[in-house]
Order: sequence, then C-alpha cells, then structure tokens
Amino acid sequence: METKIKSKVFEKFSEATRTLFNPVLQNWKDQGGKIVGYFCSTVPEELITAAGLVPLRMRATGSTSTERSDAFFSSINCSFARHCFNLALTGDFKFLDGVICVNSCDHVRRIYDNWIRFVPDTKFVEVMSLPRKTEATQVAWYRDEINLLRGKLEKHFGVKISDKTLWKAIKLHNETRRLQKKLYELRKQDRPPITGAETLAVMVAGTAMPKEQYNNMLRELLDELKGAKGHSSHRARLMIVGGILDDPEYVSVIEDQGGLVVTDSLCFGTRIMWVQVDESLSDPAEALSKYYVADRPSCPRFYGEHDNRATYIIDMCREFKCDGVIGERLMFCDLWAVEHYMLGQDLKAAGIPMLKLDREYLTGGVGQLRTRVQAFLETMGR
Amino acid sequence: MTLIDKHPELARYISEREWFQFLREQTLALIEIPEMQLQVKTLDSLLKMYGRILDAVENDKPFLSSYYCLAPELYTAMDLPYYMVMQTPFLASSVPYLLGDIDAAEEMGLGSDLCTAIRLSIYYVEANLSPLPTCALNLLYPCDGAPLLHEVIKRNERWRNIPMFAPDPPYYMDERSLHYFASELRKMAKFIEKHTGRKLDMDKLKETLECSNQMFRLWDEYNQLRRNVPSPHGWGIGAPQCFSQAWVYEAGTPEGVGWFKKLVEIAEINVKAGIGPAAKEKIRLFWFDLLPFGWVFDFLPWLEEEWGAVMVMDMFGNYPYTMIDTSSEEQMWLGLAKRNLFDSPMVRQARGVADNFASDIKRIVKDYKIDVVIWPGHMGHKDGSATVGIMRETCRDLNVPFVHLGLDLFDRRYSTPDQIKDKISRFFQAMGLG
Repeated sequence: METKIKSKVFEKFSEATRTLFNPVLQNWKDQGGKIVGYFCSTVPEELITAAGLVPLRMRATGSTSTERSDAFFSSINCSFARHCFNLALTGDFKFLDGVICVNSCDHVRRIYDNWIRFVPDTKFVEVMSLPRKTEATQVAWYRDEINLLRGKLEKHFGVKISDKTLWKAIKLHNETRRLQKKLYELRKQDRPPITGAETLAVMVAGTAMPKEQYNNMLRELLDELKGAKGHSSHRARLMIVGGILDDPEYVSVIEDQGGLVVTDSLCFGTRIMWVQVDESLSDPAEALSKYYVADRPSCPRFYGEHDNRATYIIDMCREFKCDGVIGERLMFCDLWAVEHYMLGQDLKAAGIPMLKLDREYLTGGVGQLRTRVQAFLETMGR
Repeated sequence: MTLIDKHPELARYISEREWFQFLREQTLALIEIPEMQLQVKTLDSLLKMYGRILDAVENDKPFLSSYYCLAPELYTAMDLPYYMVMQTPFLASSVPYLLGDIDAAEEMGLGSDLCTAIRLSIYYVEANLSPLPTCALNLLYPCDGAPLLHEVIKRNERWRNIPMFAPDPPYYMDERSLHYFASELRKMAKFIEKHTGRKLDMDKLKETLECSNQMFRLWDEYNQLRRNVPSPHGWGIGAPQCFSQAWVYEAGTPEGVGWFKKLVEIAEINVKAGIGPAAKEKIRLFWFDLLPFGWVFDFLPWLEEEWGAVMVMDMFGNYPYTMIDTSSEEQMWLGLAKRNLFDSPMVRQARGVADNFASDIKRIVKDYKIDVVIWPGHMGHKDGSATVGIMRETCRDLNVPFVHLGLDLFDRRYSTPDQIKDKISRFFQAMGLG
C-alpha cells in the first residue's frame, strides 16, 4: 500500500523508528541529557521522565546478527531477546545511562541476568517484580515496586522525584496517549488517512524521544492529516494482535497485499495508550500501579484476564469495522502461543476470521508472509 | 453404568492407574532387590492417590487439583486428596499413548514450540481427560507456560464454574516477597475451606509439618550418602521418587517418613558394600533438569552401561532443605512460603532471577564430586536456556565440563535417543571422560 504521508514531521517519526540512537536522542545526549532504556511496556516510563531522563523502550533495531548473544541464549529463545542482548554485547547500547527490566516473559527477564553479569559498563540496571494477577493486592505490591524504583533512580541519578514532578510526568504521558488515540480515531474512517505501517512508526517513535517534543510533533502530524484524502484501495480492514512488533516494514508487507491495518492490540499500539492513568487519585505511585496492573488493556502476561482481552479485541474490531484479525507471534513465545489458541476460538465464535502468523524479530520470509496474507484475504472473500 | 460412563473425564486417569497397577504387579513386584521393593512402595503411594481421587468423584467428596509447590502439607492437614493437572506428562510418560496425545495437542493448534508438558496438559483439559475437582489451585510460576495453561483451564467450558485460586508469585527472594507469598497462601487456605467445607486445624497442620520436616531431614541424610564414591544409587532411584513422596503422594504423612527411612537404610547398605549402579563408576554427572521421562529407559541405562556415567544428582534431588519452624502460626506460614517459593525444585531456579542456576551448580559440583554438568535444554525451559551462558561460565570457573544438549523430555522425536547418545559420546570423548 502506498505511503501517502510525505511530511517532514512524519519523516522524523520514521527515522526515530528506523534507528536506535536516533537524532533526537543524540541531540538530547549532546545537551547533557540522560537516557534510560526499559524492557516491556509495563515499566512505568513516567517515573523515568519525572527523574528528568528520557525513557527509551528497548528494541533491537538495526541488529543483523545474534553471533555473540548465542553464547548466552539458545536457539529456543526468542529472536528479540537474542538480538537485543547481542546489541548490548557489541556496545550499541553504550549511549544508555541505565536499563530497567521486568519479569515480563521467560526470554526477556533473562536479559537482566545476563546484562548484570556480562555488560559491566551499564551502571544502573534494575529489575522490577511485576505481579501475575490484577487485584488490589497486586496493585499495592506494584505500587511499592514503583516507589522502590523511584528511590533507586533518585539515588543513582542524584535527583528528587516528588509527587508533584511525578504527577507532572503522568499528565504529560497522558497527553501523549490522548494524542495517539486521536490518531487512531482517524483510522475509523472509511478512508483512513494513515496506514497501519505509518501508525506503527509514529507509535514506536513515541517511545524513543522526550515526550514533550513528541507531543508537539504528533500535534503537527494530526493537523496535517486533517482533511487528508485517505486510503481506499484496500481489500479488507484488519486488526493486528500480538507482542513486540516494532517494524513497520512487517505491517507494510501485509498492507501491500491489500489488507489495511486499522487498529491493533500491540505493545507499541493501543495497549499503551487506549486508557489513561487516573489523575484523580491522591498517590501518583498508586495511580501508576493501578494503570499498569489493572486498568489498561492487558497482554497474556497477566493471568485471569483472557476474557477481558478477547472482549477488548472483539469490541475494537467492531469499532474499527475490521474484517479480520492477524495474530502475530515471535517464535518460541509461550504467552502468545496459548493466547492466540484461545483467541482463535473466541473470534471464531464472534464470526471474525483470524490468521495466525509466527515470525522472527527481523522481518524475513516476506514471500511466505505475502502468500499467507493473500490466502487469508481470499478466504474472507476479499 | 460404569464410572467412566458417568464421568468420561476420568477415562485417561483410570487408564493411568491401570498402567501403574500393571507395572507394580507384573514387573517391579517380581524383582526381589531392595530398591525394586521400595519402588513398589512408591507405586503403592501413587495408586493410593489415584484411588482417593476416584473415590472422591464416585462418592461426591471434595478433592483438589493443585501442584507440588503450592503447599501440599495444607491438603494433608485438611485430609483433602489432590492431583496435579500436569501429572500425566510426568507420571505416565512411559505409557504407549503419549506420542499420540502429543500429536493430538498439536492438531488442536498449539504449535510445536510450546513446552510439551504444557501442550499435553492443555490437551487433557480441553479433551475432557482430566478429573474435575471441587476447586482448583492454579499455578502462576515458574515459567510462562504455567499461567497460560491455567488461563485455558479457567476458560474451559467444563472448568469455568469450578472455583479457582492462584497465589501470586513475587520475583525476588527477600523478606518482603516471603511475607507477600505467605499472605497469598493464607488466602488460599481460606479459599479451600470455603469451597470444600474442610477446616484447617492449626494443630493438625503443625503435626503434618513436623512429619514433613522429618521426611526432608531423611532426604538430606540420603543425599549425604549419595556423595560417596561410588554413589549408592544413580538415576534408577533417588530424586524422582523422593520428590514424589515428599511433595506429592505422601506430603507430611507418617507413611512418607517410613518410606524415607527405608531408602536411607538401603543406601547405607550399598555404601558399606561399596556398591553403585554401574559396574564401575567412571563419570559422576549432574543432570540439571527433570529426567527425560518420555524415553528414560532408552537412554539412562545406556549412560551407566556404556560410559559408567552415574547420575549422582539432578534438579529435583537436591536443594536447601529448610525445616519449617512450627513454634507459631506465623512461622508456619512463612516456612511454607519459603519452602514452596524459594526452595522447591525447578521453582527455585526458574521462577526468579537466575542466581540459583549458578549457585546450585557450584554447591552440587563441590558436594557431590561432579565430573560433568549436563544442561539437557528441554525445549520448554526457555528461561533456563536463556541462562546457558551463566551456567557455562560457572562451570568454567569450577573447571568442570558443561554440555547443553537440546531435547524434549517427553517427545523422543524432537531429538532421538540415538542423537543424544551420539552427542554425549562425542562430548565425553572430547573431554577425556570415561
């Protein structure tokens, strides 16, 4: 599908997504700013912003090999973890001033264990204990985790994260979410002005630059998209559901076959912005915990939430007038293997076709992907 | 009308019981060596467990589905039988229908890179081949597969209305985590009381824990004997049976204590006589996982016969045997939390940060005079396989050879026994072992 957005601001988003240490981050560092990488969207990036640092969602963009990390991981580990740790070993993350991990999945949580042992240059490496359940007890546990991390950030970086600065960061990040949601609202149109691949580029960029700057750029883009003609040549409207998909090229391959991706449930998609952090609570750490553990659309990392997840996806399909769902999963991911198994049944019952795709972190096997998407569109009569 | 007509979900469970009954009567009972006679006692405990579950179904008595690392002493104290949803892949993996079940699980759309134990367990639930308990205690650790298996269980139409509780596991090994998990276990006990009508008598729990402590002390004593050269036992008897008795079949029962006493007695005889499982013990190995239950007889006897390689220790055989302080209710809960979250095998390595992968290797290599550490690399153990670098470095520091195999503990087609034998032979040769 033809990329229609030619604006300068979109090019900046796209560049931030295509590169790891993007020009905006380079500029931030040049001015003496610090950057902290974090794994998994359950790490409260607001805390990093409140510390005066830039949060960078960890990716392995630009990686071409797992040659060095293969000595630490094995062939049954997901390629995201292997590529990411390879970049850590080759020094490509040297621009980071710290890394925050979380026990998100069996592969990624071990990056922490390997990082603290084999990448000694990074002086601030922490791991958070994320609950499996989403009840009040777990919200309280994660609130304490957030406060513990808050203290560690304060101590290591010599800053004070007051409630006031934390609330300020929460409001800033909530503004990001509101703007991103506006972008998604445009995609409900019969002729969406932005493709799924382009949207993913915008979303990924949002995790790779200071939020104020990002918000300004996103406002500019939203202005540009007002009244845009929109796409109409697609054969079907699709929703994409899965984990850490950060490569717009993968979505482009799907869209090139005529399947316009109009919404998603992804780590770089609606799961990180569809719901806001509740600003009416008195304790900002409690508000963050409630958001990350209980309120926002969950991923299969959380137990007991599958029915809610399925309802969310079915509702989104209806809201965005989707003809079908593509479930993408990184090979060897147990979480998404079982989730897609259950979701396939739920969607079947709801009369929504689903295509399940296994992939590697680096987009490859494009021919096979094209064929499968084409076949899927044909089975839908499109 | 038979029990299976009334309860079709028991079909596989009854087949398993018959299989073990057959093993007991037609093979083990006929071999008059002490180890085999003890195996008969192990099977008696297992058959008793099957019998209690079937009796509970037939007579409408409460029973649980749960796990070894969810405080089984509580169920003993409450006189509640339990079975593990994941037990079939482990216990009955030598049965002739295992490979067919693995294929059926794949055909359901579960793919082939998801842990086979999880795939099989999902299959047994979805195909209505698991007993439907009064209430279910679900497991959210040590890996990603466990909570997802229980998500499927929670969603399954036959299980949907069964009351369920799942204690939430913290990731660390500190006091805060201990208190948090103890609180989760207290909630679990209340939940069991509510849904089974059984009350937890703290005096009875104390008695059960003291019995259980005695079993763990005897297990430790037995492990001291395995430090001898030659080791009195290899893979044939040891960790799987001790684990089953202490954590599953006889958790905190006097029968369990009796079983461990007998084990120690038999091992002492071998130590005194200088007898081990191999004709000549040439290699003492640490197998850092479960045994390959799906093809155990095609592989482990060969190790002893061909190479004189004796499995002196495995993942389920040795860990800190922390006794539970029964001086107060508070201490009992904390002790249960510690034992189940920090100490229990596999959970202690895989649930949290990877420190115990390294520390266990260090301790066991030293204590048991280990010549080689084998990380089998079961295809489902993703977190462990992301720790191979740490394990390799640890072994390098200890100057002990380390090999990572890559296999499926249940499916012999993933890496065939011959492929594994070949890999091990080449490794032993290269390292000058044996």
